Amino acid sequence: MIRYGRIFRSFVGAEIKNELAYRLNFVLGLVEMLLVVGTSLGAVLVLFTQAKTLNGWTLPEMIALTGVYYLVQGGVNLIFAPSFEKLMEYVRLGTLDFTLLKPASAQFLVSTRHISIVRISDSVLGFVVLGAGLVMLGEAITPWAALAFALTLACGILAVYSLLLTLVTLSFWFVRVDNILAIFWAFTDAGRFPIDLYPGWLRFTLATIVPIGIAVTVPAEAISGRMSLETFAGMLAGTAFSVVFASWFWRRGLRSYTGASA
Amino acid sequence: MPLVRTYRALLVAGFQQMAAYRIQSLLWMLFAIIRPVIFLAAWVAIATAQGGAVSGYTVGDFAAYYVCLAWVSQLTMAWNSQEFEWEVNQGRLSAKLLRPLHPIHYSVVDNIVYKLTTLPVLGAILIVIAIAFNAHFRTEPWHLLVFIPAVVLAAGLLFVFGYIIASLAFWATRMRTANTLWQRAAFVFAGSIAPVVLMPAWLQTLTYALPFWYMVGAPTEILQGSVTPERAAFILVGQAVWLTVCYAVFRVVWRRGIRAYSAVGA
Repeated sequence: MIRYGRIFRSFVGAEIKNELAYRLNFVLGLVEMLLVVGTSLGAVLVLFTQAKTLNGWTLPEMIALTGVYYLVQGGVNLIFAPSFEKLMEYVRLGTLDFTLLKPASAQFLVSTRHISIVRISDSVLGFVVLGAGLVMLGEAITPWAALAFALTLACGILAVYSLLLTLVTLSFWFVRVDNILAIFWAFTDAGRFPIDLYPGWLRFTLATIVPIGIAVTVPAEAISGRMSLETFAGMLAGTAFSVVFASWFWRRGLRSYTGASA
Repeated sequence: MPLVRTYRALLVAGFQQMAAYRIQSLLWMLFAIIRPVIFLAAWVAIATAQGGAVSGYTVGDFAAYYVCLAWVSQLTMAWNSQEFEWEVNQGRLSAKLLRPLHPIHYSVVDNIVYKLTTLPVLGAILIVIAIAFNAHFRTEPWHLLVFIPAVVLAAGLLFVFGYIIASLAFWATRMRTANTLWQRAAFVFAGSIAPVVLMPAWLQTLTYALPFWYMVGAPTEILQGSVTPERAAFILVGQAVWLTVCYAVFRVVWRRGIRAYSAVGA
């Protein structure tokens, strides 16, 4: 564990040095994120000029949910999404060989190698928006709610991670899979609203195959104290299953990898 | 006449290329469907909670609006500004500039090919959504007639506007910020959050003043049949004005940009 912590730290250090060379880039990335989060909040506010609640969710709760939406996105876009994008390129070019030769878990290396530092702004903004929603809500947060929130948020990000790992593993069989990731990006948009809003087929998709829906809704429920115990248990069990499955599938895929010159 | 022959050749090549990436283009269609559906779901929840209607918009009206919105978005979409950034950054534009044809024609053909190949499938999916949500179209024959020029003007406007943004790549190598700004402005003003009449008054004023609503939201309302003849005329005039303005700006920006362009790496 300590060794992997050290490896990860050196990845972060390398990325930061790289990022420092493009400071304007960093600032522009921040501006973009402010635009995105601001307009998303605007959309919620427009909906609430016509309604008091959205399927039982009040405005403060919806703002908190929007914050969680960007927290999850930040978690995914900071490390996993950029790493996996590179991974698909490595598989196509055959340069994954260099990673496989290294004396550490290949799954760890391919999942964390590339970090998009500027995406920290997603998480920071997500926390700010979540905080604003909680202040508006005006209720004290119990330690139990805070703990449940942290756990379900981690589970949500892990569940999304498992989906992404499964999708990119397909690149061992089909060389062109950057478009398979488009499935994930297309459904991501649906995370901005609570999952109970959607018709059955979409709710099912967002809770199982593309778990972005529960990854956002369940932590938001947890922090506003409306999560049921069954949801909590289901979230933990579902995440554990998807992580194990994705890891197994990755190892299975790796065996089909034939390398650059083979 | 040579232009017709050129276009025929380009179209044939385009369709052949498209045939190689069938699955890919189907996947990209998810983007066209998901966002309208999630906002439709939100408005249905709000309307149902208020007894079936919000300020005169019933659940069926919302369904019709968002089905039309998805259809119009696909008909008018253009991705030239993202593609152009890549071509300039890679220096690939240089080769295209040497050809006797203005690069804009290649984008036009790509655009037409993509739409022709994806529209049948999208249409089928949207019909299912319309039935599932009980969409109520108020469209009369004259709406359909007016819709034709409206959607052509909208597509032209979006395309030329995209090329203005694209031309900025001649000066700046990083275009992401400009593209994001455009996308988010379109998100707010083009009508995907709500039909414009349901927005707060000050946002409505801005929406009518900016070009984005004329690219998607306005033709959507015509197709859905929720406009009076006066409003339809207002829309067409607004589109024509914005198209003229954007085209003039595009000409100036393009001519100056070509002079500034030095091809990265050249």
